[in-house]
Amino acid sequence: MAECLYNRVSDRVIDELKQIVGARYLICDDADALEAFSHDEVAEREYAHMPEVVVRPRTTDEIAAIMRLANREMIPVTPRGAGSGLSGGAVPLCGGIVVLTDRMNSIVDVDPENLMVVVEPGVVTREINEAIKGYGLFYAGYPMSLETCYIGGNVAENAGGGKAVKYGVTGRYVTGLEVVTPAGEVVRLGGKRVKDVTGYNLLGLMVGSEGTLGIFTEVTLKLMPLPKAAVDLLVLFEKTSQAIHAVPRIMTSGGIIPTAIEFMDRASIKVACEYLNESLPWQDASAMLILTFDGSDEEAVEREYMTAGDLCVNAGAIEVYVADNHTTSERIWRVRRNIPEAWKQYSANRTTEDIVVPIAAIPEVLKGFERLQEKYGIPVPCYGHAGDGNLHAKPVMPPEWSVEKWRETLPRLLTDLYRLTNQLGGTISGEHGIGHKRKKYMPLVCSKEHIAIMRAVKRALDPNNILNPGKIFDMDESTSEAADG
Amino acid sequence: MRIIVLVKQVPETGAVKMDEETGTMVRAGVEAIVNPLDLYAVEAALALKETQGAEVTAVSMGPPAAAKALREVIAMGVDAGVLVSDSAFAGSDTWATGYTLAAAVRRLKGADLILCGERATDGDTGQVGPQTASFLDLPVATYVSSIDAVTTGHIRVSRLVEEGYEGLDISLPALITVVKEVAEPRLPTLGGKKRARNADIPVWTADDLDVDPGRIGLDGSPTRVVKIFRPQVARKAEMIRAEDESEAAAAAGRVVEFMTDRGLL
Repeated sequence: MAECLYNRVSDRVIDELKQIVGARYLICDDADALEAFSHDEVAEREYAHMPEVVVRPRTTDEIAAIMRLANREMIPVTPRGAGSGLSGGAVPLCGGIVVLTDRMNSIVDVDPENLMVVVEPGVVTREINEAIKGYGLFYAGYPMSLETCYIGGNVAENAGGGKAVKYGVTGRYVTGLEVVTPAGEVVRLGGKRVKDVTGYNLLGLMVGSEGTLGIFTEVTLKLMPLPKAAVDLLVLFEKTSQAIHAVPRIMTSGGIIPTAIEFMDRASIKVACEYLNESLPWQDASAMLILTFDGSDEEAVEREYMTAGDLCVNAGAIEVYVADNHTTSERIWRVRRNIPEAWKQYSANRTTEDIVVPIAAIPEVLKGFERLQEKYGIPVPCYGHAGDGNLHAKPVMPPEWSVEKWRETLPRLLTDLYRLTNQLGGTISGEHGIGHKRKKYMPLVCSKEHIAIMRAVKRALDPNNILNPGKIFDMDESTSEAADG
Repeated sequence: MRIIVLVKQVPETGAVKMDEETGTMVRAGVEAIVNPLDLYAVEAALALKETQGAEVTAVSMGPPAAAKALREVIAMGVDAGVLVSDSAFAGSDTWATGYTLAAAVRRLKGADLILCGERATDGDTGQVGPQTASFLDLPVATYVSSIDAVTTGHIRVSRLVEEGYEGLDISLPALITVVKEVAEPRLPTLGGKKRARNADIPVWTADDLDVDPGRIGLDGSPTRVVKIFRPQVARKAEMIRAEDESEAAAAAGRVVEFMTDRGLL
């Protein structure tokens, strides 16, 4: 790899790192222990790479000291949260140091007067809501991995998730960040301010920067009043087209923006129900929607779900199930959340794609999936966030195929998929990020000039290319032209 | 056939907190749901309705808010609900509850089959079902894991017992309590929700039932709660180590011995 012109981590560097974080918070010379930090949740092992050392700092100053050391010694640094990412963002592609934020897991400040919470990057996303529930507030980010993922990673990837239709993605709620720059300086961007136009929107630049422009050490999040009532509908459709056409009607004819609109195709429903031993009568359905409605009182929510439910019935739904308490609701969402895990059990060779298109283009994209399945003979089950056009296509290797054939065919399928997505006004990632997994496909959706600007930004902030090198795009222009992989 | 299902509204278990000082459950602000184990009884009733044809009535005893639990099971497919509610019933233990529910069943002119969940997730006694049966002088089968056949005047069920399953042929009318194995509860439907919203749920007070005022509520409850405490969970783990392969067999032997001593093997 052209960019890996770095120095190895020497014993002297290890000693210095020990002085910074303490010997017990450093892992090296133990391949089994280090292996856990060589990959994230991307299934394909070819995207993994071993770190040389993992450090677990507790403070901002420790991280700043690590960055200064890394610049001096020319050693790459890869920040890592819970490792639940889906683009390889936390993979130490060039070896070097992995900075794990798991010990920085304090909720620093709950500020109900300002509807803000200040947290450290290693806080598990779900715990934020546990901590503020008593104040009648909630944090609206809802990545599907919320039981394990860290807020720092959510910000780095600008995570979306299941409630983005109504509440938007992580970035909407980040009002302040403390950042350690690639050079080892500490800057505070934003704060507890709802509006802020003081100069360039560097906060916005940091959100979604995939760990390439800075390491977040403190995050200020905007909170919302906790909805008093919520209802989920699980709707089974005989035909996929019925489900897809029902979605815009709920928002247009119904005049309702649901909190969530999740789509699952037959293959995904089947694999998840079987994995969970769930007895929902999915056998007659080829598509399923989960719709969530929340609001300030039960009557308002009831009106919304009854209207939306009727629209689904008119669109040809086989059955509309209603969950208006936590237990039933969890039963419904469990099916959706467990789809990735269920596919994991089903096949070792698969890839999770994350395309996003304007919502009106969803039917066209689904037809495209069918054509690709036929052309390449690879099943492409699909599920995802129908309300915002973000669909997770999951090409799965047919059991009778050799891995070589799979590896040779998949990039061609993905290139076709991404070209189609681009033609429809979409792009290659809605919420998982580019990392190094989708890097080679960037030229399909970003112009040369666009990538050149991103390179210039990276160079300005990280002249030595120390922080998370090899992600999103290559610094060397000549290596990033081959789109067909 | 006519089926009555007894259901109870309970606090959502995931949300329950204990008051550290009094040792009692904090109910304020906790979502109230149908006792999850009662949903299996509801499902068993609805399955019989589908296969045999039946009219299913749910009966619940509780505060006025418990009507919501009845609407929830109506939304699943239950035909009608009756709420037994009166401040005179407050403080009922399982005995007084069984007595009162039996009176409600009598007012409904009985049923061919009365179905109950195994127990409620709040009180956890599993007594109300059998006690109701005793007040009605009905045969009872607890821990029913499947309803195998229903013929005129008879029902064949399997009970989950310590050693396996026990098959019983019971004459109807009868009362059975079911365990989770019996069926996976269905979800309420949109059509069901609409029916439930408009359903008329009669509320029966003590005056509506043929009950002896001395046998209901706190006065009719022989149970006295003397003390509530949290049991200490003492885990007595024994670590058995095999440092290398040569020790594996001996270690495995000790695991077997450990489990045999405790009647687990």
